[in-house]
Amino acid sequence: MSDDIKVDKVFDLKGLPCPMPVVKVSKGIKEVEIGQVIEAQSTDPGSLTDFPAWARTSGNEILKTEQDDDVIKFYIKRNA
Amino acid sequence: MMDEKTRDDLLKLFESKLNEAMRLYLETCTRCGVCTEACHVHASMGQVKYIAAYRAEIVRRLYKKYFKGRGKIWPSVGEARELSAMALDELYEAAYSCTGCRRCMVYCPFGIDTQMLMSIAKLLLVGAEMEPEILTLLADTSIEKGKSIDLFKESFMQGLKRLEDEVVSKWKLEAGETAIPVDVEGADLLYVALAGAHSIIPAAAIFNAAKENWTLSFFEAVNFGAFVGDPTKTKLILDRIVSEAKRLKVKEVCICECGTAYRVMKQLTGKQPFKVSSITEVHARYIREGRIKLDKTMVDGAVTYHDPCQIARNAGVIDEPRYILQHLTDDYRELTDEPRYNWCCGGGGGLVAMGEDTLDFRMKSASVKVDQVNATGATILATACENCHAQLSNLNDHYKMGVDVRFLSSMIADALIQS
Ligand code: SF4
Ligand code: SF4
Repeated sequence: MSDDIKVDKVFDLKGLPCPMPVVKVSKGIKEVEIGQVIEAQSTDPGSLTDFPAWARTSGNEILKTEQDDDVIKFYIKRNA
Repeated sequence: MMDEKTRDDLLKLFESKLNEAMRLYLETCTRCGVCTEACHVHASMGQVKYIAAYRAEIVRRLYKKYFKGRGKIWPSVGEARELSAMALDELYEAAYSCTGCRRCMVYCPFGIDTQMLMSIAKLLLVGAEMEPEILTLLADTSIEKGKSIDLFKESFMQGLKRLEDEVVSKWKLEAGETAIPVDVEGADLLYVALAGAHSIIPAAAIFNAAKENWTLSFFEAVNFGAFVGDPTKTKLILDRIVSEAKRLKVKEVCICECGTAYRVMKQLTGKQPFKVSSITEVHARYIREGRIKLDKTMVDGAVTYHDPCQIARNAGVIDEPRYILQHLTDDYRELTDEPRYNWCCGGGGGLVAMGEDTLDFRMKSASVKVDQVNATGATILATACENCHAQLSNLNDHYKMGVDVRFLSSMIADALIQS
């Protein structure tokens, strides 16, 4: 978890087939209130272009993206 | 109640689909019933509404009400039907229980294409904003990516670095070679993958083994515009890849293991300075030309192959996977004597992308597929489409089939012989 961001719900999307990461994040973000933050964990490099494009389309906001050796983490604030 | 303006707008959309072929499909059915057992949904679930001709009839009745036939007799057309909110519900049920596999078309003596008729239903649903929301969101996300790709290129390339070790573990590189080349102008081949690492790693290893001069696309291959039946979005999504291919001046665009992506790219790209190939065709070519060699001992168990409808029946790639499998196993078992009649996996037409919402239906409507696989006694079920792979994996779990569902490309990558 990122030190400076309070996460309300975590979604493990590692290794899911296309297009499940975006589908699950789209649905999952509705499980938190507007203004709250979810953490989406992925192993797919394509999510580094998919998630920002999805956030723009759906009106949500990616606060931060972190990559380490094993996983890519997106911190996404529900705005819509 | 549907107001006049909405009805008029929807009828204009209907009319936009009425080309020569579509009119023929709408005016020809003789209700011979040959297609009754052709649809996996009807064969598995046995309800009249899942017969191909019945689905088509939902569209046909509206056609009869609002559009003039061209003087032919319409033996099959039942009552003309008003375009109403209820009619839209019926169109939804017909279109989103059809996977667009076109098995019915192979059986129909007139070659009536029910999938095409369902594309009218889907377009009307888009016009009425009654289409599955998630499919439109996915299509819009793809279009947005096309507009703003420059913002995300750097992080995408960084993300690819994380995959390099795995690519190299399947095929060692020589000094100066790149594991996953991106944005290479003048490359011979542009590989269009999906977002997942599993769509990139094996493919990269095989390209490297074959000494291909390749580059990876920034975009994902799948076209959600086609799933939702929106021609404008389909074109915008396709155009991202066409522009990238032209910018990089490649000679060939190779589509990953994604059936819809391949069919859409092959059929709608038009005349271009590059050719379009499926990855299965490319892999067969590498074997034929001696550019890759495979070790059969890496495949343990009897193998059967599920022909993805959009790659085999609807785009003609039938011999290539079999040729590849000859080089991977001595125990290959066909699902059916004639691959064109292969049962659909039950996941096409956007149903898999709709996720858990369609899971129950997808499981019930594909029991004939499960029986077909089980009858072979194979322990490895190979396929070459992400959608089919996801659906077959769901079936494997649900029906406890006990098979290993594999991508053909991943079987090839694991069997590469590095001399
Ligand atoms: S296209 Fe496939 S799913 Fe649709 S009606 Fe025909 S056989 Fe059934
Ligand atoms: S096989 Fe063709 S002509 Fe016969 S009922 Fe089906 S769609 Fe109509």
